[in-house]
Amino acid sequence: MPEEKPEKAVNWTEKYRPEYFVEVEGQQQAIFLLKDFLKKFAIGNKAVIIYGPPGTGKTSLAFAAANENHAELFELNASDLRNREKLIEILKPATEQRSLTKEKKIILVDEVDGISETDKGGLLELIALVESSSYPMIITANDIWDRKFTALRKKADLIQLKEIDYKTIKNVLISILRKEKKFLEGDIVTNIAIKARGDLRAAINDIQTASGMKDPSAIIFDERNKELDIFSALRMIFKGKPNENMLQLLDSVNMPIDEIILWIEENIPAEYQGEELARAINILSKVDIFKKRIYRQQYWRFLVYENALLSYGISSAKKNIKTGFTSYKKPTRILKIWLNNQKYDKKKSIARKYGEYVHIGEKRAYKEFPEVQAFLMKPEIQKELRLSEEEIAYLHNVIRSE
Amino acid sequence: MVSEIWTEKYRPSKFDQVVGQDDTVKKVEALTGSLNIPHLLFAGPAGTGKSTLALIVVKELFEKNWRENYLELNASDERGINIIREKVKNFARTKSIGNVPFKIIFLDEADALTPEAQQALRRTMENYSSTCRFILSCNYSSKIIDPIQSRCAIFRFKLLEKKDIAKVIQKISEGEKLTINPDALELIYEGSEGDCRRCINILQSTASISPIINFDLVSTVISNAKPKDIRVVMDYAISGDFQKAREKLLDTMLRDGVSGQDVIKAIQKELWSLPIEPEVKVKLTEKTGEAEFRIVEGSDPFIQLQSLLASFVLAGLGL
Repeated sequence: MPEEKPEKAVNWTEKYRPEYFVEVEGQQQAIFLLKDFLKKFAIGNKAVIIYGPPGTGKTSLAFAAANENHAELFELNASDLRNREKLIEILKPATEQRSLTKEKKIILVDEVDGISETDKGGLLELIALVESSSYPMIITANDIWDRKFTALRKKADLIQLKEIDYKTIKNVLISILRKEKKFLEGDIVTNIAIKARGDLRAAINDIQTASGMKDPSAIIFDERNKELDIFSALRMIFKGKPNENMLQLLDSVNMPIDEIILWIEENIPAEYQGEELARAINILSKVDIFKKRIYRQQYWRFLVYENALLSYGISSAKKNIKTGFTSYKKPTRILKIWLNNQKYDKKKSIARKYGEYVHIGEKRAYKEFPEVQAFLMKPEIQKELRLSEEEIAYLHNVIRSE
Repeated sequence: MVSEIWTEKYRPSKFDQVVGQDDTVKKVEALTGSLNIPHLLFAGPAGTGKSTLALIVVKELFEKNWRENYLELNASDERGINIIREKVKNFARTKSIGNVPFKIIFLDEADALTPEAQQALRRTMENYSSTCRFILSCNYSSKIIDPIQSRCAIFRFKLLEKKDIAKVIQKISEGEKLTINPDALELIYEGSEGDCRRCINILQSTASISPIINFDLVSTVISNAKPKDIRVVMDYAISGDFQKAREKLLDTMLRDGVSGQDVIKAIQKELWSLPIEPEVKVKLTEKTGEAEFRIVEGSDPFIQLQSLLASFVLAGLGL
């Protein structure tokens, strides 16, 4: 949380952090749900998870909730969550003791994404605390759909924050500029608002920087390269309506496009069925053809088409937007290929020896296997090919398993 | 030592033992006799005698020294043209043994090389032309770039006819004391599609069960040797289970080492026996052809095959 800084360096994002619900912009639905949670705290879940992309107001909502209810906000963040001991030491008393200064208390556990899966103790303890807490707990996260949070999710209400639309962002920016008595040209503000892609914090940081620059328009060219995780990208493509922003979507995913193709391939059937499935894979097949053309002709402009088909194209394969949660899987194909290489290692080495012996290539020999397997069982032929004991054992195993 | 593997044991070692390629054999024999052979390009389907003829050329030329003067490479196995060049370089560095002024490099499945790699190969062929002759083999000469074709004498190998195959099998059954029923012989020929290697392999596999070769035995061996689970994959797809279908497809491809094109071939054949309307069969045949086209054009056969499976799913839904 904000450290004490000299007056001049005050961060606008902190300075203008909303104090009350009415000041939180663009999240009416979430505010309604959060109020509801606090109202029903005594009978319902002890915790609420507010999740969404960065800069959409998760922490602000927690602050506002505390203010609205005249409650003390007890705050913990990622670094405090590392291990069980620390949680017990800090958080446990907080969930049990009464506030010294105010009647009510809200506990904020900020940015739980940081808890690693290996530190199971921390996460388990958090779940235990959620169950026993005497005070409402607000937990924030960027992506709550990670598997490690499955148990936690079941114990809490969920509130999703959407990316804030650019008009709302623009209005906030203008009002801050007014209060700061700074002036930026309208189209610069608009540009910053659009570029922020729903991240209000980023936008506020940008106008603060821009208003201090001699030539504020320079900031427009300096786009924040907002990194998008692959899960969010998949969600946008598979669930959302195709829109032009999608054309740049894959650029902000920090992953080579060939790998993204594998992710899309793996997860298409999880979202699309029947005709949608056929359309989507047909588009993927065209992506693959452009990929080959790029390699073959070294003509990189084709990448534009590969990119557009892979995002907008795949997205357009559906008739209506999809709702609900889909758990996307890591591509399994590469792993399977690798596992199979291990598994059929002996088969390959036999094929190599046999192929060399009868003047054919290894690949062809491998393919010929079912045809020749029967006589490869003969000891005199095995001797002739100088098969190793492991290779002979492999042959026997295959015969047995069939 | 005589090999126990019949494709080797009965591989012709003289020109006059080669069956079914009379013209080609005569011309190659004449060239070999003149000791001044150009680069050769052998084009034709698998199992028609390309490697055999190359080996005969080499044995005729170098007699007992043939192993020292002969390098066999397989373009689809060697990882990249650079490896091939390296091997050629090492091999060509030393002079040939005996009174033939060159060595011979046999590059099998040369059409597996990309056009770019073939350009590099052309350069290599030129650089070592004083010390080496190349014999290239391929299925389709159209896949070999023109500059290479123009540097080679081209010989085409045709699919073996039934009488040729019968001759080969006759010889082997005498040598191995087998009894072969006429309908079994017929089946071996059909199952092998004119590929002599396959014929002999099927024969030896069958003979490893019993020396009396009958129809049923051969049919068991052939059906065991077919890409197995492709039908299962298709059944899953038609019944609407795309996930299962693609999972099974990947497993099959990895296990049996079959390529995308092999799978397409199997699907195309199997399609006619699916329980679907004739017009749907036609539609799916067209889709299969399109998938094969895209496999050739694209980089990832598995993606193209999935696209085809999705068409099967739709067909199963009656769409």
